[in-house]
Amino acid sequence: MAFSIAGILAVLLEVIRPWLPLIIIVLAIDVAITAWLLASRGRSWSNGRRPALLGGAIIGVLAFFLAPLITSARFSDLSGLLDWMSILGGSIAAALVAAVLLWPLTTALFGKTVHS
Amino acid sequence: MTDDSTFGPVSARRRALLKAAGLGGAFVAVGGSTLLSAPANALPTSARIVIIGAGAAGIAAANRLDSALDGARITIIDRRQRHLYQPGLTLVATGIWRPGKVVDSNERYLPRSVNWIQDHVAEIDPDANRVVTTGGQNIDYDYLLVTTGLTVDYAAIEGMSRDLIGREGIGCVYDNPEHAERTWRMIDHYVTAGGVGLFTRGPGGIKCAGAPLKVTMLTEDLARRRGTRASLEMIYNSPSGGLFSQPDTNEFLKGEFPSRDIGINWHHRLKGIEPEARRATFATPQGDVRLDYDFIHVVPPMRAPDALGNSPLAWQDGPFAADGNWMEVDQYSMRHRRYGNVFGAGDCVGTPIGKTAASVKAQVPVAVDNLISVLAEREAVQRFNGYTSCPLITGRGRGILVEFDYALNMVPSFPFISPYREHWVPWVMKDRMLQPAYNAMLRGRI
Repeated sequence: MAFSIAGILAVLLEVIRPWLPLIIIVLAIDVAITAWLLASRGRSWSNGRRPALLGGAIIGVLAFFLAPLITSARFSDLSGLLDWMSILGGSIAAALVAAVLLWPLTTALFGKTVHS
Repeated sequence: MTDDSTFGPVSARRRALLKAAGLGGAFVAVGGSTLLSAPANALPTSARIVIIGAGAAGIAAANRLDSALDGARITIIDRRQRHLYQPGLTLVATGIWRPGKVVDSNERYLPRSVNWIQDHVAEIDPDANRVVTTGGQNIDYDYLLVTTGLTVDYAAIEGMSRDLIGREGIGCVYDNPEHAERTWRMIDHYVTAGGVGLFTRGPGGIKCAGAPLKVTMLTEDLARRRGTRASLEMIYNSPSGGLFSQPDTNEFLKGEFPSRDIGINWHHRLKGIEPEARRATFATPQGDVRLDYDFIHVVPPMRAPDALGNSPLAWQDGPFAADGNWMEVDQYSMRHRRYGNVFGAGDCVGTPIGKTAASVKAQVPVAVDNLISVLAEREAVQRFNGYTSCPLITGRGRGILVEFDYALNMVPSFPFISPYREHWVPWVMKDRMLQPAYNAMLRGRI
């Protein structure tokens, strides 16, 4: 059975639907911090990049090790390239999303320039 | 396939009006998901369309028809307020999901413009194009979509009733979340206390035919995890000479069960049960066999609901009549073979395979698009290929994604997921992805 792009997006929408309020809150906070950073001076995005990547990496590693547990499974249930690539790909995706979401926050916290 | 001339007695004048309304609109866009995402292209019509049953097929069809038609008077008849995600009952019955996870409401998914009559159907009269509810309401239609689901026939097993589920070592994964939870209590106790476990499967067409197998393997897996496997004697009783209709999966299971020390009794059909004595009677080619048990998973035969099975819409003879009075449809177009303005989808139809939610996903677009084509007096060209799917869960954390068609050929949706090997990914799909996909189907989006 073929799934269209629109169909896959419709399923993904249903996957995140229970968490939509939380997702909206997190995005709103991110947007607000970003707006504040753009309006103010004295913060360097590049200074916030490294801690954001570090946070993303931690999330990625946690996702890799917790994914079987979260799905009521064990590492011994993983079998073959499909499972290992899936868990690896999912963890990398989680790391990237976390890094992007953390970047405004880490810039606000750690992005102060010397002259500010 | 029945042509338009064999329609029931929709009056010639009314049909002319419907035709004029249908041809007057932009019916060129009818059919397919493009239309569903573009209501501006909806087909104008004043047709009265009645859907019997607000299960997966009925709600999905209501949403699709509502998006595809402009001005249609769509009525859905079902007394039930609660919507159950039935594919999740296996996980409830084996202690993996909480019962509340499979409970939703029909109201949440039904379009506001659809008239919902909260009653059951008592009689279907396709010669008069009329449905009668148990409350005595007569509802006339121009087009009928039958999505009643099926009846689990507990009475077909002597001594068995729904009330026994969760007592005297009796479990049954079908029916509802309350019974699934009671089944879990029986399995939980059995796996702890040990003894003889009998696992059965109803003969003929049953919904989610993989469920009895999954319950067996998940119970075995649970005992292994708890370290009590040695105290359990597990026996699967097949009413036929096979375990699964798809040959490759059948061969896999015929190796898997013995390798996990699950005995198989071939040609053992559960005929009767003595709950207090904890004894079951099986009909076999050699005569009746009585087996004692500590736990039994009862899977009764299933059939069409009486209002459908006793109506002219049911198969009048042949294997689908003998098996469960299933609804007579052309297995490809989902259109009734004798009443051209009647279509069917879901568990109630008499087709060679396909009593699964996955089949509903494939059947409903075919039935709806063909109904709309007939309404617009065009040829009904959509075809259902028999697609069905079973995430065959072999244990907590792993499974095989089995998808096949009428020819019993494997038709994997995702070529990178092997239908021949156990993986973690199909388990994740079953545990996390299929319910969202089901909800998207209800909304008519996939």
